[in-house]
Amino acid sequence: MKKLYYVMAMLIVASMILAACGTPATEAPAATEAPAASATEAPAAAVTQEDCAKPEVFCVGLVSDVGKVNDKSFNQSAWEGVQQAQADGVADLVQFIETSDAKDYAKNISTFADSGFDVIVTVGFGLGEATLAAGLQYPDVKFIGVDQFQAWQYTDDKADDSANVTGLNFPEDQAGFLVGALAAMQSKSHKIGAVCGTDVVPPVWRYGEGYKAGAAYADGMNSTTTEVFVVYHSDVGFDKTFTDPEWGAQTAKSMMDQGADAIFGCGGVTGNGAITAAAQAGKYAIGVDADQYLTLPEAAPRMLSSAMKLITPGVAQLIAAAKDGTIVAGNFTGTAGYAPYHDMDGEVSADVKAAMEAINAGLLDGSIKTNVSPAKP
Amino acid sequence: MQSDKQSSSPVMRILQSISDASLIPVLAILTAVILGGIIIKMVGGDPFLAYKGLIEGSLGSKKALSETAVWATPYIFAGLAVALAFKGGLFNIGAEGQLAVGAVFSALIGYALPEWLGFSLPIYIHLPLAIIIGMLMGGIWAGIVGALKAYTGGHEVINTIMMNYIALNTTSFLLNGVMKDKSPTNVIARTPLIAESARMPAIFDGLRVHWGFVLALLVAFFIWWLLNKTTLGFEIRTVGANPDAAQYAGINVKRTIILTMMLSGMLAGLAGSIEVTGLNYRHELGFSIGYGYDAIAIALLGRSHPLGVVLAALLFAAMRNGSSRMQFLTQMPVDLISVIQALILLFVAADAIIRYIYRIKSKGERVVLTRGWGG
Repeated sequence: MKKLYYVMAMLIVASMILAACGTPATEAPAATEAPAASATEAPAAAVTQEDCAKPEVFCVGLVSDVGKVNDKSFNQSAWEGVQQAQADGVADLVQFIETSDAKDYAKNISTFADSGFDVIVTVGFGLGEATLAAGLQYPDVKFIGVDQFQAWQYTDDKADDSANVTGLNFPEDQAGFLVGALAAMQSKSHKIGAVCGTDVVPPVWRYGEGYKAGAAYADGMNSTTTEVFVVYHSDVGFDKTFTDPEWGAQTAKSMMDQGADAIFGCGGVTGNGAITAAAQAGKYAIGVDADQYLTLPEAAPRMLSSAMKLITPGVAQLIAAAKDGTIVAGNFTGTAGYAPYHDMDGEVSADVKAAMEAINAGLLDGSIKTNVSPAKP
Repeated sequence: MQSDKQSSSPVMRILQSISDASLIPVLAILTAVILGGIIIKMVGGDPFLAYKGLIEGSLGSKKALSETAVWATPYIFAGLAVALAFKGGLFNIGAEGQLAVGAVFSALIGYALPEWLGFSLPIYIHLPLAIIIGMLMGGIWAGIVGALKAYTGGHEVINTIMMNYIALNTTSFLLNGVMKDKSPTNVIARTPLIAESARMPAIFDGLRVHWGFVLALLVAFFIWWLLNKTTLGFEIRTVGANPDAAQYAGINVKRTIILTMMLSGMLAGLAGSIEVTGLNYRHELGFSIGYGYDAIAIALLGRSHPLGVVLAALLFAAMRNGSSRMQFLTQMPVDLISVIQALILLFVAADAIIRYIYRIKSKGERVVLTRGWGG
């Protein structure tokens, strides 16, 4: 028995030593968490979670979908929007909870709501129902649902209307339109392609059709004729529609065999496979949702641009609106955009850059219409 | 588990055997928690705040307790499924797939049966029917593997893994296809909501804990009774200990193997059924991912004893449930919970490490002839 005590004592001492020398050595493992940690710890000295119950302290919580806030994609963009709100002085305290299982949606939301948080951002379509339910349960809290379409706004039934849930949605067709126009203007073979997830998912459909419309618009401007190949994953399989990089690469290759020299990948990892193949073949790669130059190093050297949902400014804008009371329940349409050219900057002529800015401005002020239906008819 | 001390009363003997059986798991948990604390410190967190969050989030309020019970419910069923198979000398890695099959069929009965019949059923028919069909389909799914094992010798480890792929991909096909929720705004692979008459009521108003948790505890007791007090249980354990001896003793080994797998699959199927009827009211792709694998860990930690499984399931449930609050307080990654769980499992599976650290002598264990994991 004595030995057991020795061992216990050793363990405790060891833990203390490790703990002491562990602190300065945190940089390496904490690096991935850096955006989260740096933003929350600095002001946490002044404002703590206990203060959130006070009316003058404005706290914002973010619940991720099954995934992490450093996923270099959706969750991260939304979290950066929340951090932006803090940097702008709108929010006093910002925190996140990463969902690890879908059944925790409601619990994670109420963890913030019960602690007196003023705004709760939920990320992703999957949290839509849980967010609406929480909206009823916590009428004093404002909810921002990223990519959550608020269908109740279009029903005649007034009973299901929400007073405090705002869905942040994006005109994917405009984002697709922008990169479609860019691809058509940059293509030397006048053949461009897009490899997408299933067109049953409306945003994917809007990306793909917007891409076609954008190419056609550029053709109209420059009197060119561009052949556009858009292939959706629908015919191949069901569950792998967003996670099938091999199929994406194969499809991109067959498009390039037919002469395409710019490939737009729209649909998660499937699209990533396609644009990686395009980049390896020395063609133009075009990313989706976020600036994939930063998130997909394999394709970065040939990344022409990305069709972007501007989630970060959208979230920050809605948080600010929630604070000054101007937020309106229902659907809020954020803005689409296109990513910088990065390494390809030298290959894009000043004329094309000017044309892109004109198209973007036209889409923003409504003088250019994509004429894409919201979902596959 | 033989005790070298001769205890006087039966109560003492039971206590002695419980403490013998739980010594290694308890020390494993303790060691993992200490190591976990060191890891938390190393990545720059506060281990005490983290564990405070973990405890508050899992036990700190009525709501927290309710959510822990919600998490524990499928873990108990699936853990029992794996434990029962262990007792029968079978390694059921297929709980994940059997669970999905159970969930899909319960959801189907739950939402489609009233449409097919053209009238709605009362809850005392519809709900049990949904649960039982899900349970039976899980049993049949695992029974196929049992039959392959009994008649062709095909190894159940390989076959349950393969059947997982079939089950999960078929589920995905169905949830994206004929069973998909057709409402226009839905883009997720999920079934429609099941009818009210197929939903298990909550025990308390405002809390999510449902009667499935009570059912899980009752089923755990039933499995203990089945294994230890019935002929079938004796046959399962004997086949698990030594199939040749069982054959020689006149036990129908083939039949027992198939029955063991079926019972195991029924328990896993129940885990899926109860998640659908008690909690989610639908089946959705992505729900229940990983429960079948966690169940293996739970069965090992619980040493395949029904009571041990219940306790291990409650522990894992508390850790999973408390992790949200832990992250809320510390902003640490929730993956730490997985690390701690993995450490516990490592120490339980490789108990030589624990025996070495704490200098525990193995107490005159018999030469083991089993090929099972039941112990």
